[in-house]
Amino acid sequence: MDTSNSQETLVSLRSVTRSVTLPDEKQLHILRGIDLEVLSGDHIAIVGRSGCGKSTLLNLLGLLDVPTSGELEFMGQPAQRLSSNARARLRGSTVGFVFQQFNLLPGRSALDNVITPLFYAKGKDFWRRRELAMDMLDRVGLSARANTMPNMLSGGEQQRVAIARALVRRPRLILADEPTGALDVETGQAVMALLDTVATETAAALVTITHDTNVAALARACYRLDSGVLSPLARAEAGAHS
Amino acid sequence: MTSIISTLVEAWQELRINKVRILLALLGVALSVAALTSVVGLGSLVREGIKAQSERDGGRVATLTLSVNGPSTPDAEKLEKAYEGIQQRYGITTSTHVGRTQAGFQFPRGVTAVNMTIVDIGYGIIHRVPLTQGTWFAADDEQRLAPAVVVSEAFYNQAGRPNLATNPRVSIPGDQPATALIIGVVPDTYPDTPPAAFILTKAAAMTGMKPDMTEFKLWVGEEQANALTAAITADLQSQFPGYYAQAQRVDFAAWGDPLGPAQWIVGGVAGLVLLLGAVGMLNISMVTVRYRVREIGIRRSFGATAGRIFVGVMMESVVATAVAGLAGVMLAVAVVKNPWIESKVAPGLTEFPAFPIEAALLGFGAAVLVGALAGAIPALVAVRVKVIDAIRF
Repeated sequence: MDTSNSQETLVSLRSVTRSVTLPDEKQLHILRGIDLEVLSGDHIAIVGRSGCGKSTLLNLLGLLDVPTSGELEFMGQPAQRLSSNARARLRGSTVGFVFQQFNLLPGRSALDNVITPLFYAKGKDFWRRRELAMDMLDRVGLSARANTMPNMLSGGEQQRVAIARALVRRPRLILADEPTGALDVETGQAVMALLDTVATETAAALVTITHDTNVAALARACYRLDSGVLSPLARAEAGAHS
Repeated sequence: MTSIISTLVEAWQELRINKVRILLALLGVALSVAALTSVVGLGSLVREGIKAQSERDGGRVATLTLSVNGPSTPDAEKLEKAYEGIQQRYGITTSTHVGRTQAGFQFPRGVTAVNMTIVDIGYGIIHRVPLTQGTWFAADDEQRLAPAVVVSEAFYNQAGRPNLATNPRVSIPGDQPATALIIGVVPDTYPDTPPAAFILTKAAAMTGMKPDMTEFKLWVGEEQANALTAAITADLQSQFPGYYAQAQRVDFAAWGDPLGPAQWIVGGVAGLVLLLGAVGMLNISMVTVRYRVREIGIRRSFGATAGRIFVGVMMESVVATAVAGLAGVMLAVAVVKNPWIESKVAPGLTEFPAFPIEAALLGFGAAVLVGALAGAIPALVAVRVKVIDAIRF
């Protein structure tokens, strides 16, 4: 990664491991010795097979989880020393999640879904929540469907609503977990193009976890996660990787 | 400040979205609150009715009756002086003689026997006599040549319901015929009671009415009632040696609050109803939280803290039960203040008291408490949800 042009380090992982204790008391090592730096404006793709620890790594990057060992710094703050509430606040103000299954809240319109993260914002962002959410829906081309319920939207539209929801608080880091996994190829490409454009416009870092080599090829840096070990992948290799 | 408002707004939005489910859950709470508030409100009304009736019969708190009994009837003049002396010595300002007899009155349909109560002015205060028309006796009524009477509705009806402003009179035939002036009307104690009237002691003597037996009543402060009872008994006994003298409390509260146990039982039943409503609410809240695990996980990923999730889930419950409580209280007020119900529950009252504010506050407070209790357990479950597992749930 090029760090020469005054990019700020958002997340830094050094020798990070994550393991869990199984019911038979054995340790399952999900991540081993991960070293990774995510800078502002980065677009990183992480590829790997199912069960290799991709989602666990994403949870660590998004402060949903903490490492078993190693150092994880989030905007210069050691994550392990932050309380659960402090991590939640930091996550709310700086991280936006896009999930594979969209995870839109049922029974709420597209607009209400986009508004939801703003309930946890303070000051102007809370009071202007409707206006901000409409702006963001407009940005993803869905302002005309603001009052539509998720079950009345197509898969692509639902993911666009999810993207609008992830970006409405203008996060510094966007974490996308298989964002095209539930979409057809064409719609997936359109969604990724939108995600990439919006991330670039807002100077946010985008970390995408994917199986899709085409999606991985869009990233400026690509990594492979295999059996919990993260290694850089050349762009040509990324295109060939499946 | 923003976080408090945003929590409330979020809770309200959740209620709006899940209105059908919440409405069903809250129906039980609203009905329970209505039952609780109605029971307390009706209990208060019944209490006021019984209290008014008891005050009309026995006198208000604390009323003492003086009596002197013995081998022969005590000298009436000496007895009167003893009563006067007691009032002066103990600084008692409100008293009355109470005697009963019958007298014939000339009505348009003929002479009818009327139950007469021979009293002093103080009777109106001691028995808190309600009036539907006119006034109770005043000091100058004792000076009237035509004796003043305060009559019952049954008497007033038999007299043809004359306008009191025209100073209506009614004849008392007999050995000492007289013409009485109707100055006030009191409600009948029960439906179809025979005609009755009050007359002042001096006026009764003028018309030749002699009571079968006369009581003497004093109105004293509740705090001094016990001490005065003992002191007056001893005082009276010393003046009538060889007789059995006694001062005795005769008001309804003389042996403690007669309505207390009944109110506790009714309140207990109402509390049980509310508890059942709360259990139903808790049950639905628990099921709902399990159904909302993924949603809670998603909210956590947006930056909702554990405290915010706890308060949010609890506030949903509290805001909902507060609304249900308000509806329940309004329903209870509509029931209790219904004129037909009021007249059936407290037939002895001419003026019904306002809906007791303590019943409304109790109902509303109970609803909020139920909401907090029924919300706290699901809120604890919600906080314990692991974010990562919840998102994948």
